[in-house]
Amino acid sequence: MALSDAWKRLSWIYYQYLLVTALYMLEPWERTIFNSLVVSVAGMAVYTGYVFMPQHIMAILYYFEVIQ
Amino acid sequence: MALDARSGAPKLQLNGTNGRRRHRPVRLSPGGVRNGAAAQGRPRNRFEQAPLYVAVLTYVGFGIVTLFGYFRDFLRALRLEKCHIAQERQELKEFVPLYQDFENFYTRNLYMRVRDNWNRPICSLPGPVFDLMERVSDDYNWTFRLTGRTLKNVINMGSYNYLGFAENNALFLTTVAEAVRGYGVGTCSTRQEMGNLRIHEELEQLVAEFLGVESAMTFGMGFATNSMNIPALVGKGCLILSDELNHTSLILGARLSGATIRIFKHNNMQSLERLLRDAVCSGQPRTHRPWRKILIMVEGIYSMEGSLVCLPEIVALKKKYKAYLYLDEAHSIGALGPTGRGVIELFGMDAKDIDILMGTFTKSFGAAGGYIAGKKELVDYLRSHSHSAVYASAMSPPVTEQIIRVIKGIMGRGGTNEGLRRVHRLMENTRYFRRRLREMGFIIYGNEDSPVVPLLLYLPAKVVAFSRAMLEKNIGVVVVGFPATPITEARARFCVSAAHTRDMLDKVLDALDEVGDALSIKFSRQKFSPRSELYDGTDFELDS
Repeated sequence: MALSDAWKRLSWIYYQYLLVTALYMLEPWERTIFNSLVVSVAGMAVYTGYVFMPQHIMAILYYFEVIQ
Repeated sequence: MALDARSGAPKLQLNGTNGRRRHRPVRLSPGGVRNGAAAQGRPRNRFEQAPLYVAVLTYVGFGIVTLFGYFRDFLRALRLEKCHIAQERQELKEFVPLYQDFENFYTRNLYMRVRDNWNRPICSLPGPVFDLMERVSDDYNWTFRLTGRTLKNVINMGSYNYLGFAENNALFLTTVAEAVRGYGVGTCSTRQEMGNLRIHEELEQLVAEFLGVESAMTFGMGFATNSMNIPALVGKGCLILSDELNHTSLILGARLSGATIRIFKHNNMQSLERLLRDAVCSGQPRTHRPWRKILIMVEGIYSMEGSLVCLPEIVALKKKYKAYLYLDEAHSIGALGPTGRGVIELFGMDAKDIDILMGTFTKSFGAAGGYIAGKKELVDYLRSHSHSAVYASAMSPPVTEQIIRVIKGIMGRGGTNEGLRRVHRLMENTRYFRRRLREMGFIIYGNEDSPVVPLLLYLPAKVVAFSRAMLEKNIGVVVVGFPATPITEARARFCVSAAHTRDMLDKVLDALDEVGDALSIKFSRQKFSPRSELYDGTDFELDS
């Protein structure tokens, strides 16, 4: 019950995304290309965050002299 | 407290008075003088702006489709994909190109993808409900095929059927049938040769009486009325001041005439006055001779915006600067005013103030054709000098008879007041429809009285999704995008009809509510409550 509601909600959000980016008008293979681009860019951002976030946080704490 | 510059009376903003519902502030006209119905609390045209993110997202959408358009063109150039559009033969490659590839970029890469929303085949008369033929496409709208199924009783929100005279009632159409039996269907001649029938004379007298002018002349086609008669009225050495959003027929007529054309901002009287002043002071461009004629061209209702012309101000300006006024009442004749006489009656003005009244019979009268009315000398001049009178075929007799019976109906002759009842029903339907749409939170353009209701959709994909979603709910709407409208302002245009019952309008409104939520197109930031008690108190907000 809750799962089907959640699925409907996600489906509506995907529909909004298609409308706003005008992917609604494109053919399925074009949507696949665009979505892969978006997913790869987002994936790269997340990976960069994962790799560098600890160093950046340590640097900030060091700058504000919370850590020595 | 701010004082009005000319009259010295305080500037008031009224937010609801005397128990009448008013949703927006009302301004008195400049001198504090109330002229006609329009200033008695009828608000001016509204063009609400959407939030900024909507414009940004519109451009984003167009940008993405354009990029994919380039990509697909690239694939077509590399022959990786079949090209469906017209192309030249291999042997003609070195010649000057016949099909301009880039100019069709928009058509090829955007319109073709979604063109199942336009040119839908209809197989019944365009009344308040109609039947559509179902068609599907197997190759993404490059070709269509009809499945054979008919979609029955689709509610028609797109036809210009303002008074509901596009009907099939045998009782009302007896005179039209007799006209076919008596005169035939074609006139086989022009007005000047053998095509001037008695029924045409009767129609012209009736039109002149209906409008309250001396004389009128009718033509077989509404577009041709504008484009073929403006060249007869103005020529080289004349100046045409034309509104920004004028219809193509007016623009074409103006260009064909050879006169100088200057454009003023839509309904903007300051812009018009500045142009008039410059024209009267400086004269023609190089020689500085005075202009032979200055003609101001405006429309009664602008069909893409649903806005009304500011007629009292324009007539005042024209009298002050001694210019002529050409009023194109294509959408407003029959649809506005307490007795359907159009925008002149709505503003309570005299038809003798306007030099050239023009209108069409296609919209409110359920027929085809147009008229030009005014002083007798003007119309007599046009009878011999108009291209349409000399070269175009005369109006078909059954069509003429249809217009005659409609005008008689609206004027109340023939014993019935069905016509007048339809005019009132149209007004009620318009007010109801517009009020409900505003309450739901859509952005609507135009004046509260205009039966043309543009609902703004902005984003290109939402335009397409809207049209398809409404068709699934069995409602036919017309959506318009670039290039008929500015690129950021794509819209759906509803034409309310007197033949729509309250039930049909409620069905449409409920569907719009659902689709509006599903597509999130309720962009309006002004909130109007459906509870009228909130507006009934007097609520003054003084400018200070």
